[in-house]
Amino acid sequence: MTALFVDEYPAEARLVKAAFLSSFIAFGIGALFGIIQALHRTDIFRFIDSIKYYTVLTGHGVFLVIAFTIFFLVGLYQWAVTDSLERGPVDIRFTWFWYGLMAIGSFLAAISILAGFLEQPPMVLGAELRANVLFTFYAPLEANPLYYIGLALFLVGTWLAGIDWFRTWWAWRDENPGERIPLRTFMVLTTMMMFFLGSVGVIVSILVFILPWSLEITESLNPLLTRTLFWFFGHMIVYFWLLPAYLLWYSVLPKLSGGRLFSDPLARVVFILFVLLSTPVGIHHQYMDPGIAEGFKFIAMTNTMFLLLPSFLTAFTVVASMEHGARQRGGEGRFNWLQALPWRNPAFTGMALAGLVFAFGGFTGIVNAGMNINYLVHNALWIPGHIHAQVGTATALTLMAGSYWLVPQLTGNRLVGRQVALFQVVLWFVGIVFMTNSMFRAGLVGVPRRTAEPQYQGFEYDVPVGSMGELNAQLALGGTLLFISAMLFLVLMLLTVFNNDSEPIVDGTLPPALSGPEDSPQVLDNLRLWFGIAFALVVLAYALPLAGIVAQSGLFGQDIPPFPVSSEAVMYLEFGLDYVGALVT
Amino acid sequence: MRIHQYEKIWIAGAMILIVGFIVTITYGSVGLGITMIGDEEETIAPDELNDDEQFGEPRVEQVGENEYAAYVVAQTFIFQPDPIEIPANNEITFYVTSRDVIHGFYVPGTNINAMAIPGQVAELTVEFDEPGEHGLICHEYCGSGHHTMEGLIVVQSEDEFDLTELSAETPDTVAPGEQIQLNATVENGQLEPLETTVNAEIGDQTFQQDLTVDGKSTQNVTFTADSTQLGVGEHDWTVTVDDYEETGTVEVVSNETDEQAGGDES
Ligand code: HEM
Ligand SMILES: [Cu+2]
Ligand SMILES: [Cu+2]
Repeated sequence: MTALFVDEYPAEARLVKAAFLSSFIAFGIGALFGIIQALHRTDIFRFIDSIKYYTVLTGHGVFLVIAFTIFFLVGLYQWAVTDSLERGPVDIRFTWFWYGLMAIGSFLAAISILAGFLEQPPMVLGAELRANVLFTFYAPLEANPLYYIGLALFLVGTWLAGIDWFRTWWAWRDENPGERIPLRTFMVLTTMMMFFLGSVGVIVSILVFILPWSLEITESLNPLLTRTLFWFFGHMIVYFWLLPAYLLWYSVLPKLSGGRLFSDPLARVVFILFVLLSTPVGIHHQYMDPGIAEGFKFIAMTNTMFLLLPSFLTAFTVVASMEHGARQRGGEGRFNWLQALPWRNPAFTGMALAGLVFAFGGFTGIVNAGMNINYLVHNALWIPGHIHAQVGTATALTLMAGSYWLVPQLTGNRLVGRQVALFQVVLWFVGIVFMTNSMFRAGLVGVPRRTAEPQYQGFEYDVPVGSMGELNAQLALGGTLLFISAMLFLVLMLLTVFNNDSEPIVDGTLPPALSGPEDSPQVLDNLRLWFGIAFALVVLAYALPLAGIVAQSGLFGQDIPPFPVSSEAVMYLEFGLDYVGALVT
Repeated sequence: MRIHQYEKIWIAGAMILIVGFIVTITYGSVGLGITMIGDEEETIAPDELNDDEQFGEPRVEQVGENEYAAYVVAQTFIFQPDPIEIPANNEITFYVTSRDVIHGFYVPGTNINAMAIPGQVAELTVEFDEPGEHGLICHEYCGSGHHTMEGLIVVQSEDEFDLTELSAETPDTVAPGEQIQLNATVENGQLEPLETTVNAEIGDQTFQQDLTVDGKSTQNVTFTADSTQLGVGEHDWTVTVDDYEETGTVEVVSNETDEQAGGDES
């Protein structure tokens, strides 16, 4: 047994712990907001004003899919790079600098969101402090500039993290000329290349258009342009959420199963495919948008389908590695080997269940990607069903399971409550089955997402099997189980951190792949090449649609003023009067 | 690169599946003639909507035999027009835009689904086979009242459906001995001529006239009553054309001084 990560790299371990701490705080608040939504939407228990629901929903989105996932990612990746290159960053002060930027950024975004709960939010930067614009912040809905500043700082911090890991790798390369990039570092570097490329969209959208407009430096913007720039980033980001889970599935899960990764070269191919394909597909989120030609939607659809390939490959490799592990442990038979897997290990079981949900969620994603079928489900509750299967479970549950394995190595403490942890991951699985089952079915009958009160005066939903009441009950039940599971996880983490005089019983070594890097062609490590191709593909997919949007209504749109979302209806009233006035004259 | 035999089979299978998906979807969206939302429509600045020929007065209009256009404006937190009345078994093309923020245009449980983006016009064509009512909701978060934003699509049977508009007026007051003129205007928004009968009542006097209004045009009818016969005082009047009714009152005043010719339209 080798030395623990914390003993070998105490400085790096401190940073990873800080990142995980930020991640878990966000997770806790996000989960709390999740259960509030689940109870409010279904009208089972409404204790906030429906207007405040959107504050909650903004928080849920930002805390979970921006803060929880990405803070965890930077922590995990810092561990992966350090551990696989066997060296720390070039300058750890720089490492703390980007972490600091991310922390400040998310703090600013968080207070601007949470201020939405105040009856009388303070004035900041010339506007009321609030950000009820959800995590997609579609203009011309407008948040306080602080929200955009916070998000921008967070993104810049993440960029710098990527640069930091590249620097570490460059330094390592000089010390180890001619060596293959270790697999985990390879995964980190390719993920970050993907992020560099895809985040350009949202960074331009914020820094060039939305922030100056919210500060009243510019007067107008083009809502379709900022929306398209958001989705330029928006699909890439879903893989940014997913790839940390992939990293764990490829590197840790085979070991937990008792074996080794099946194929190193295919793992590299998978990550390269993500670099190439995850950005030029964003338009599949805009099938319903006017102003984007059908042809471009079609190209996005085709690319999206090819993006299934890396996930299919992953399914194969992960299952094959698990089978190998099971057979090493004495498993036999066509399917009986499944019994030989370490199901009592929460880290293993969590990841395996997450993978199972991911496979199912993937099929719902194919439905979303179908241009025609999407008409039925776009912006219906089906979509959060898909979201919770994927990032909400494939990623979140894998990260929790991974924490059970990693946190003891970061703290030097033994995991508290292994049995409870096992119960926790299974509980998450049960909760997600209930919640997403309800969301998928409700989505198919047309219940919209992002709505505080999805019941309307003019019509009733036509539920073919079961009833609306039953669907609501399932959603609330699933949400409650998930919330309990989330809290259990946090309690176990907390107890583990303070479980000082104990020895962790984790072995942190990761065995090499069955088919190692020597089997993978050298060209796979040519990161410049892949980045170049990825860049070209993005230009191909986006140059024309963006040019079209700008040609139609201009870079800055046609006099589109901001619409601050405040809890007061005054603005809308004024606007309505204007309109009525115009009708009368 | 060394790839295991099983892996090769799996990759081949995956590729076949992917190409299969693409083919099915392409067939589903092109082969079946479903039109998608694209960029065919001109853009329009939200602050020019009021002066726009189409969106200045959001409405349903007949544009061809069995073809209608519905101009819909979404704004916080209503749809206009509301309700949207359309005939069954006709091709309806919705043109949807937004006056302020991004809204949605969604008939739950159907594939009538579009985003209403300020500056842009979404175009989608649908046909309803059966008369009935359908809820229309905004399914993109648009601000604090988002969950209240709904409209109604009323599909009428083809026979029942029309685009007739009736308006009528009389002077507010007349002096005894003067004639009371009741002007009724019947507008036919459809392309076919409208053959109908106008019935009117002023006090206890009744009138009737057959009328043919050409497609996309307007006809005026005037009924004249004698105020002396009606006598001094207030008199109710009513005009009906098919299912439409307009009512008002006219007063016969003895005092000659306050004679103002103001229009009274109820
Ligand atoms: C405690 C467990 C959770 C519960 C009870 C829960 C519940 C919900 C509900 C009811 C919605 C739909 C809200 C609406 O559209 O009106 C929602 C949306 C969403 N959830 Fe969760 N959720 C949970 C955990 C998570 C996790 C772990 C993630 C991701 C890591 C996540 C990501 C999202 C996202 C991205 C949305 C869409 C937000 C938007 O539309 O702006 N949720 N959640
Ligand atoms: Cu996507
Ligand atoms: Cu809305």
